[in-house]
Amino acid sequence: MLDFERMVLDHQDRLFAFGLGLSGSRADAEEIAQEAFLRAYRALLSYPEQRLRELKVRPWLYQIALNVFRNRVRGGRPPLGSLNGSEPSRERGPEETVVGTQEVVRRLAALPARYREPLVLRYVQDLPLAEVAAVLGQPVGTVKSNVHRGLQQLRGGLSDEG
Amino acid sequence: MRDELRRLGRAKAPASLAEGLFEKAAEIETDAGLTFVVWNRRGVSAVRWATSRPEFERWFAASYRRPLRWVAERPDLSRFDLSRLTPFQRLVLQKTREIPRGEVRTYAWVAREIGHPRAIRAVGSALAINPVPLFIPCHRVVRSDGVIGNYGMGGPVEKRRLLTLEGVAV
Repeated sequence: MLDFERMVLDHQDRLFAFGLGLSGSRADAEEIAQEAFLRAYRALLSYPEQRLRELKVRPWLYQIALNVFRNRVRGGRPPLGSLNGSEPSRERGPEETVVGTQEVVRRLAALPARYREPLVLRYVQDLPLAEVAAVLGQPVGTVKSNVHRGLQQLRGGLSDEG
Repeated sequence: MRDELRRLGRAKAPASLAEGLFEKAAEIETDAGLTFVVWNRRGVSAVRWATSRPEFERWFAASYRRPLRWVAERPDLSRFDLSRLTPFQRLVLQKTREIPRGEVRTYAWVAREIGHPRAIRAVGSALAINPVPLFIPCHRVVRSDGVIGNYGMGGPVEKRRLLTLEGVAV
């Protein structure tokens, strides 16, 4: 098995920022990242050697986190709110003290998922378009146009559809 | 707008993220031998004898399917995480905790004490899945007919060894 603790250290900031961009809330972002890591851990236990060797960890973690997020949106809160009795942090993050960031979080949260997801992957996570397309399982052209339209809506601060 | 999005990407995960994900683990020396203990904010969640960390890690991964990390701290051995058990199982374990060192009780005694005098077999099943043996001393519960009864952490042989260590003639 891969060094899971190392994997968490290497990717926790990235998955947390991903969850923050998607959900608009630090507490939700923390739970999304935690649950994604736990699912990843359990998946790794069952993967054969060959699959572990070929695993591209970063896009794989994004896909898991995206599924966790989508399931939460669909089904309300999961039973796995608190994993082991610890509470998510309620403190404000340094990024919230930057003027404009809170506003962008708010506007992102108001975007339809089909724009928000590629936008967060493309700019918050700084992935190239091809990698965004791979994570979302969509053609590059679709991603490109959704990123473009998403940015336009974000600038306008309005979403024209629900 | 792209810059604001990129700035959002520099958010740092709070320490509580990893704390909530990993259980803590350490080896402690008890008079029964080298014992591996796992705990979290609720308390001790797993206890097992093993000869090495890798052996323990394999057992824990297979049984609990949760990640752990080794720490230099010491667990508080008076608090337990029994959150994955049913209310009945918790009752059985809480009662078992009261049995003093050097003494034994029967499965029937536990059943009676918790107000379910006929649930003797269920008491046995609850003790069999005790996640924190040694610290909740399920080895001090024996059969009424004098047979020592089973033990999850090494069978009747280990149960007898523990009771002998505690000064019980078995």
